Amino acid sequence: MKMTFKTALLSTILAAGLAMPAFAQEVLKLPNMSYRTGPFAATGTPHMNGQRDYMTMLNERDGGIGGVRVAFDECETGYNTEKGVECYEKSKAEGALVTQPWSTGITLQVLPRTNVDAIPMYAPGYGFSAMQDGKTFKWAFNPPTSYWDGASMIMNAISDGDLANLKGKKVAFLHLDHPYGKEPLPLLEKLAADHGFELLPIPVGLSEMQNQSAQWLQIRRERPDFVVMWGWGAMNAGAITEAVKTRYPMDQFVSVWWGAHEPDLKLVGEEGKGYRALSWNFADPNAKLMQDVKKHVVDAGKSQLNQGAGEFESTPYQRGILMSVILAEAVKAAQEHAGTKMINREQLRWGLENVKLDEATLEELGATGMMAPFSMSCSNHTGHAGAWMVEWDGTKFNKVSDLLSADRAVIDPLVEKAAADYAAANQPWQMNEECTQ
Amino acid sequence: MSYLHSIFVAPFADMADAPDFFLQVVWEGLVSGVLYALIALGFVLIYKSSRIFNFAQGIMVVFAALTLVGLHENGVPALLAVPLTLLVMFVLAVGIERAVLRPLVNQPDIILFMATIGITLFLIGLGETIFGGANKVMITEQLGIPTGSWVVEPFGGFVSVEQKDVTAVVGAVLLVIALLVFLNKSKMGRAIRALGDDHQAALSVGISLSTIWVLVWFISGIIALATGIVWGARAGVSFALEVIALKALPVLMLGGLESVTGAIVGGLAIGILEKVFEIYWGQPLLGGNTEAWFAYMLALLVLLVRPQGLFGEKIIERV
Amino acid sequence: MFYRIAGQYKTSYGADYALFPIKQDAWLLALILVFAFVVFPLTASDFMFRALLIPVLIYALAALGLNILTGYAGQLSLGTGAFMGVGAYACYKLITIFPEMNIIGAIVLSGFFSAAAGVAFGLPSLRIKGFYLAIATLAAQFFLLWLFQKWAWLYNYNASGAIQVPNTQLFGVTITGAQAPVLAQYFFVLITVCILTAFAINITRGRIGRTWKAVRDMDIAAELVGINLMKAKLSAFFVSSYIVGIAGALFVFLWRGAAEADLFDIQLSFRVLFIAIIGGLGSILGNYLGALLIVALPVIIGTVPAAVGLPISSAMVEHLNTMIIGALIIGFLILEPHGLARLWALMREKLIIWPFPH
Repeated sequence: MKMTFKTALLSTILAAGLAMPAFAQEVLKLPNMSYRTGPFAATGTPHMNGQRDYMTMLNERDGGIGGVRVAFDECETGYNTEKGVECYEKSKAEGALVTQPWSTGITLQVLPRTNVDAIPMYAPGYGFSAMQDGKTFKWAFNPPTSYWDGASMIMNAISDGDLANLKGKKVAFLHLDHPYGKEPLPLLEKLAADHGFELLPIPVGLSEMQNQSAQWLQIRRERPDFVVMWGWGAMNAGAITEAVKTRYPMDQFVSVWWGAHEPDLKLVGEEGKGYRALSWNFADPNAKLMQDVKKHVVDAGKSQLNQGAGEFESTPYQRGILMSVILAEAVKAAQEHAGTKMINREQLRWGLENVKLDEATLEELGATGMMAPFSMSCSNHTGHAGAWMVEWDGTKFNKVSDLLSADRAVIDPLVEKAAADYAAANQPWQMNEECTQ
Repeated sequence: MSYLHSIFVAPFADMADAPDFFLQVVWEGLVSGVLYALIALGFVLIYKSSRIFNFAQGIMVVFAALTLVGLHENGVPALLAVPLTLLVMFVLAVGIERAVLRPLVNQPDIILFMATIGITLFLIGLGETIFGGANKVMITEQLGIPTGSWVVEPFGGFVSVEQKDVTAVVGAVLLVIALLVFLNKSKMGRAIRALGDDHQAALSVGISLSTIWVLVWFISGIIALATGIVWGARAGVSFALEVIALKALPVLMLGGLESVTGAIVGGLAIGILEKVFEIYWGQPLLGGNTEAWFAYMLALLVLLVRPQGLFGEKIIERV
Repeated sequence: MFYRIAGQYKTSYGADYALFPIKQDAWLLALILVFAFVVFPLTASDFMFRALLIPVLIYALAALGLNILTGYAGQLSLGTGAFMGVGAYACYKLITIFPEMNIIGAIVLSGFFSAAAGVAFGLPSLRIKGFYLAIATLAAQFFLLWLFQKWAWLYNYNASGAIQVPNTQLFGVTITGAQAPVLAQYFFVLITVCILTAFAINITRGRIGRTWKAVRDMDIAAELVGINLMKAKLSAFFVSSYIVGIAGALFVFLWRGAAEADLFDIQLSFRVLFIAIIGGLGSILGNYLGALLIVALPVIIGTVPAAVGLPISSAMVEHLNTMIIGALIIGFLILEPHGLARLWALMREKLIIWPFPH
C-alpha cells in the first residue's frame, strides 16, 4: 500500500511540472486548495477527502477520465487568504486546468484574476452567489446551488412554502463574520422587507467560534422564531452545543448545507433531535458510486479518511465525492466536444457550461438519490439543482422534505444587479459576449 | 436624548426586567473569567520568577489538552493519560529551559518575548504534526467530570448552570489555593518568590536558576493542562483556543504583571464586565462582537490611571 | 579582500558621517539595485513576483515602519496589522470616492490616515511603558479590526464585507486590479519602497532620529537633557504609522487585489514584528533580511518536498513549515539576538580586515 501510494504521489509530483514536459502532458491537472489545518479543518477535511477519493477512484478504476490520469494535487491554505493567492499562482504556473479556491474569501481575491488569466474557477456550493450569471462571470462556476438559492430554500421551508406566514415573526441569522457568512444577507434583507418579518443578523467573529455564549444569550433574550445558521468549521459544533444549553427548540434551528455534518451533531446526540439542515446532497453509503469508492480507494488504503469516526458514511465526505463528480463530468463533456483527451482551460470551461447531470447520468454513475439532477449553460453557471431538508434524529440525518427549489423571481434580479455592480467596480471587465441565452 | 436614554437608562431597565437573564449573563461571564484568570496565572508565575513575558502560555494550554485527548485516543485510559500528559509537560519545561531559556539568559525582555513566540509557532507545528489539525472532543466523561446541567429558577425565569462549568470553577479555586500554599509555605515556593524579588540576591544564597525555571514552567504546564481540560470541555479542543488565550494579556495588564491576586481579580472582572457590556450595550448599540476589544480598552483606561495595573508593583525609575 | 578600505581617507567629519563611509558598500547597494531593477524583471516568473518578490518588499516596508517605532524610538507595538488596515481602507475609500484621483495621490494620502490613528493610540505611551504599552497597541489592533468589520461605509456596503480593488491606471499602464501586469506592479512597489527607505535612512540619521534613540535608551535621561518626550514619541508614532499605512495600501492594492477585515488580524502584526526583530531592531537593512527569511523561506520550504519527491501531504508541509519557522526564530535569537543585520555587520567587519585579521 505504501509503495503504490508513494509511486502515485511521485508520478503526480513529477507530472506537476518539475519534470519533462512530455510527461506533463499525460495528466489532467485539477488541483484543489485544501485546509486540513486550523480551526476550519473540521468541516474542510472530510470534503477534501471526498473530492480527492473520487479522483483517485477514477484513476484506479478507469485509468483516469477518458483514459488520462487525473493529478489532484492539494495546496494547503489553512483558510488563509494569503496562502490562497500563493496557491493560485503556483497552480497557474504549473498549468492547472481549474482553480478550486475553497473559501469565499479566497474566491473573492482570485475571481478577478481568473477572468484575466482565463482559468475556470470551480466553487461547488460556495463562493459568490452572483457567479450564477455566466455572461458576466465567464470563468466562474458554483454548481449545484448558490448561497442565495440556499437562503431562499431555507426561508421557503421554514415558512411552509409561503413566506407570508413569516409576517411579524423574528428570524435570527447566526453567521460567521466573514465574507462567506455575510453572503446571504442581501437576499435575506430583501425577503424580510418584502414579507414583513424581522431579520436579526448575529455575527460570530473568527475568534468567538468556539465560545458563542454572548450570541446565544442574545438569542435567549430576543427569542427569535427561527435561527438560521451560516456557520463553518468549529463554529457549527459550538452553536449546536450552545443551542442545547440555552434550551433553544431544535426544530426551529436550521442550517445551510455545511451544517449537515454528523460529527457536530454527535456531540449532543439525542438532544440535537429535530435540528434541520438544508443539504444539496444526501448520504447513501450503499449507492454503487460509494461502493466503488470503497472498493477501489478506501479498502485499498489509498484514502486519508478517518474510517473509525464513520467519515465514509457522513454527509460532508459524500458531498466532497459529488463535487468531484461534477468536475469529472465537465471534463468528460469537454473531452467529447473537443475531440481530444488532453483538454485545455478553454475547453474545460465549455465542459463546465455543458454539464448535464440528468437522472440517467446519475443512474449511470450509481449516484441516484444522492443529489438532484441539474444542468448548466453559458448563462447559468449554478445549475440550481435544489436541495432537501435533512433532520437529525439523534443518530443520523433523514430526508424530511421533497426536493426544494429556490424562488428565482426574487434571486435573479438580485443576481443581475450584483453581477452588474461587480463588473462596474472592476472595469474593464471581460464579459462573455458570445453567450446569447 | 433617546440616545442618552439607550445608553444610561435602557440597559439597566433591561437588567431589572429580567433578573434571571442577568444572572445567566453574569454566570457565563464568570466562567469565561475563570479561564482568563487561569491562563493569566500561568503568565504571572513565569513573569514573576524570570521576567519573561511568556506568550506561549496559550499554546501550552492547547498542547496539553491535545496530548491528553491524543493519548486517550490511542488507547491510554483517561486517568492514566493525565499523569502521562503531566510528564509530557515536564519534558517540555525541561526542553524549553535547556534549548531556549538558558542560551538567552540576560537578553533584553523583548528578545525573550520573541523567543516565546518562537516556541508558540514551534508548538503549533509540532502539535499539528502529531495530532493533526482537526478539532477534538475533550474526554470530559472519561475524566469523571459531570456533564449535566442544573436549572435554577429564580424570579420566575431560569438560569441554566452546566455542571462542568461548576466543576471548572471549583477546580480552579482548588488549584489556586494549592498554588498559593505551595508558593508561601514550601521551600521551593519561597525560592520562586525570592527569585522574583531579587535575582542577584537569590542566586547568591544558592538558589539554582535552572531548577527553578524548570519548576516554574512545569507549574505553568500543570495550570495549562487544567485550563485545557476546562476549556476543552466547554468548546472542544482545537488550535483556535490559542486566540482566546490572548485575552489573558489585558487581564495581566489590568491586574499587574507580577500579581497573582491581580490575575485572579482581573480575570474575573474582565470576564464578567465584557459579557455584561456585550449583552446590554454592545449588541443593542454597537452591532455586537464587542468582546473582541472591550477587555483591551478597559485595561487601557485603567492603565492611564494606574500605569502599573491594579495590583502591580510601582515602577521606580532611576537615572 | 573585496572589502579593503585602504586608500579611502576621510578628511572631514562630513565624510565620516556619509551614507557610505566605505566605497564598497555603495557598490554592493548598486549591485542589489541592479538585481532588483534589471535582473529580476528580466528573469523572474509570475509566481516569483506574486509569491516572493512583491510580498517581500511590502512586508519589509511594513517592518521598516514598525522598526522606526520599536527599534529607534523603543515603543513596542503589537498593532501593526490594524494600522496597515487603516492605510488600506483609507486608500480604498479615497479611490472609490474620487475615482479620478491618481493612485499615487491616494496612497500618499492614505498614509496620513494611519498616521493619525497611530498618534491617537500612541498617546498612552506618554504615561505607560514597555509591555504595558503593548496593551495600548493591542487595543488598537482589536478595536480597529472590529471597526473594519462593523462600519459598512468603509467597504461601501459590499455584501461580502470585503473591499475589491478597482483597476486604476498610471501613465496609461494599469497599476492596480486584476488587469494590471505583474511587472508594472512590481516596479511600482519597488520604487515606492526605495523612496520610503531613503527617507527612513535619512530621518533616522538626522536630529529626529537621534532624539528617538535617546528616548529609546532612557527616556527619563532624555527628558533631563531637554528632549520633549511628547514630541519625540508622538513623532515616532506618526512616521512609523505613516509608513505602515502605505505598506498596508500597497499590500491590498498592489498585491492581494481584495481584502476582508480579518486579513489585518493580530497574526499579521506578529508577522511584521518577527520580521523587524529577526532582521534587527534599530536597523534599516534588517527589515529586508527579515522579510526574506520570514516571507520567502516558507514559500521555498513548501516547494522542497515536492521538488525532491518526498511523499508528504500538503497539510503536513504546512505543519512542518510552522515548526521550522518557530525553531528558526529561536535559533536566530540565540545565535544573534540583535538580528540578521548585526550578523551582516559582523561579517562586514571581518571582511574588511580579511585575510589579515591581525
